[in-house]
Amino acid sequence: MTARDDGLPNDPEGIRLMIHALVDGELDAAAALAVERRIAADPALAAEHARILALQGAVSRLPRPAVSDAFLARIAAIGTASTEKAQGDEPQRAAPSALPGLIAGPAQQRRATDTRPSQARPTTRRFGSFDWRAMAASIVMSAVLASGATQWVMFKAASDSIAAEIAGDHRRSLLAASPIDIVSSDRHTVKPWLDARIGVSPPAPDLATDGFALIGGRVEVVSGRPVPALVYRHREHLITLVAEPQQGGRVTEPRDVSSGGFSMVHWSDGAFSYWAISDMERPELDDFVARFRKAAV
Amino acid sequence: MSEKALAERFNEVVLPHLGDALSLARWLTGNAADAEDVVQDACIKAHAGMSGYAGGNPRAWLLTIVRNTSYTWMSRNRPRAMMAVGDLGDLDEMAAAHGTSLPDEDGPEASLIAKADAAALEAAIAGLPQPFRETLVLRDINGLSYRDISAMLAVPIGTVMSRLARARGLLASELGRAP
Repeated sequence: MTARDDGLPNDPEGIRLMIHALVDGELDAAAALAVERRIAADPALAAEHARILALQGAVSRLPRPAVSDAFLARIAAIGTASTEKAQGDEPQRAAPSALPGLIAGPAQQRRATDTRPSQARPTTRRFGSFDWRAMAASIVMSAVLASGATQWVMFKAASDSIAAEIAGDHRRSLLAASPIDIVSSDRHTVKPWLDARIGVSPPAPDLATDGFALIGGRVEVVSGRPVPALVYRHREHLITLVAEPQQGGRVTEPRDVSSGGFSMVHWSDGAFSYWAISDMERPELDDFVARFRKAAV
Repeated sequence: MSEKALAERFNEVVLPHLGDALSLARWLTGNAADAEDVVQDACIKAHAGMSGYAGGNPRAWLLTIVRNTSYTWMSRNRPRAMMAVGDLGDLDEMAAAHGTSLPDEDGPEASLIAKADAAALEAAIAGLPQPFRETLVLRDINGLSYRDISAMLAVPIGTVMSRLARARGLLASELGRAP
């Protein structure tokens, strides 16, 4: 085998492992392209590739053990048994220990106004070691900005509970590796796609040169209305940017609403109200927000 | 966290992945009836440890508990099966040695593999040495990423890759040999 300058291993065992990694979807686009070229150029590698695909297909067609209703009920009982037992002392225990990331359920949402998720945020939480696709989380927010009460208080209360909800929904979304509805690094694909579906699309600057690549878009539901969301990638981290169309046209500066172990920043530019959430550290997310705002103007 | 929130989280994190948990336990213990016992044990442990779940891939989190529970269960109920596993280091060396000595042309036609019947494939998987079998099951049946498997087994990603390649190589030649 002639040495190639494509960054792939040149020993037979090394290239075989790369073919497995290709089949398993573990390679980035550049490496996948390089491996595909090697496969195209070498019949032996092509045969190996076909074998792995055939085997994987055969394994995936194997019958799976069924989760019987009786078994499901038995397992579900493990969770509910202790709930009923503990219902009595729940209120006392819930309030002070409302840790970020654990915020879920009506009990916590009621208290969202008097907790400070951003301050209690543990610094030891790291999601970076997990498959980034699992982080392709969907964020469902219900922003209820009722009019009538003092605007500032209402805004603060609502956005705090939104932050709490985002954390809960983000965690819940990890249950299913929620796909990006449209996978594209081309904003000229993402924007028309969003336009066609919900008739609105936020600015979608490609910040790849700044290290924040646009990888796709998604439709989220906020307050029962579909709103566009963009997904950016920074190294192993995903950033979801929910852009809720604004009626009032109020402009607000970026504000930290971090919650649940995720960094979260909220701001408005008059046309859209933005929520950026990621497992990145705050300074990195701030950097993204600054670059996005600069590019989106 | 309140008990109520814990219970809600248990429902969100554990219940959706029971099928995967049963699959893994079935392949680690060798039969479906034992798998239900193991998964039930694992779910009790998961419930007790729910406050330690720090986000991330819930399936990988649950399967880690299932795997550990399977081996505890095996060592209690089938000590002999556990002893047959042998030394993992030797296996990896053996895998590496075999991997380089196997010419690429050695494997059977892909069409032959695709035609293999389920019973033959299941028997071939069951016949794999345990480290290869668990890596293959975690990847091709449970669908975990290399990174998740590496974290779960506490081995480098390179080891995950070589075990997976070795497991698939063994399966392919086993299926190729069948009439």
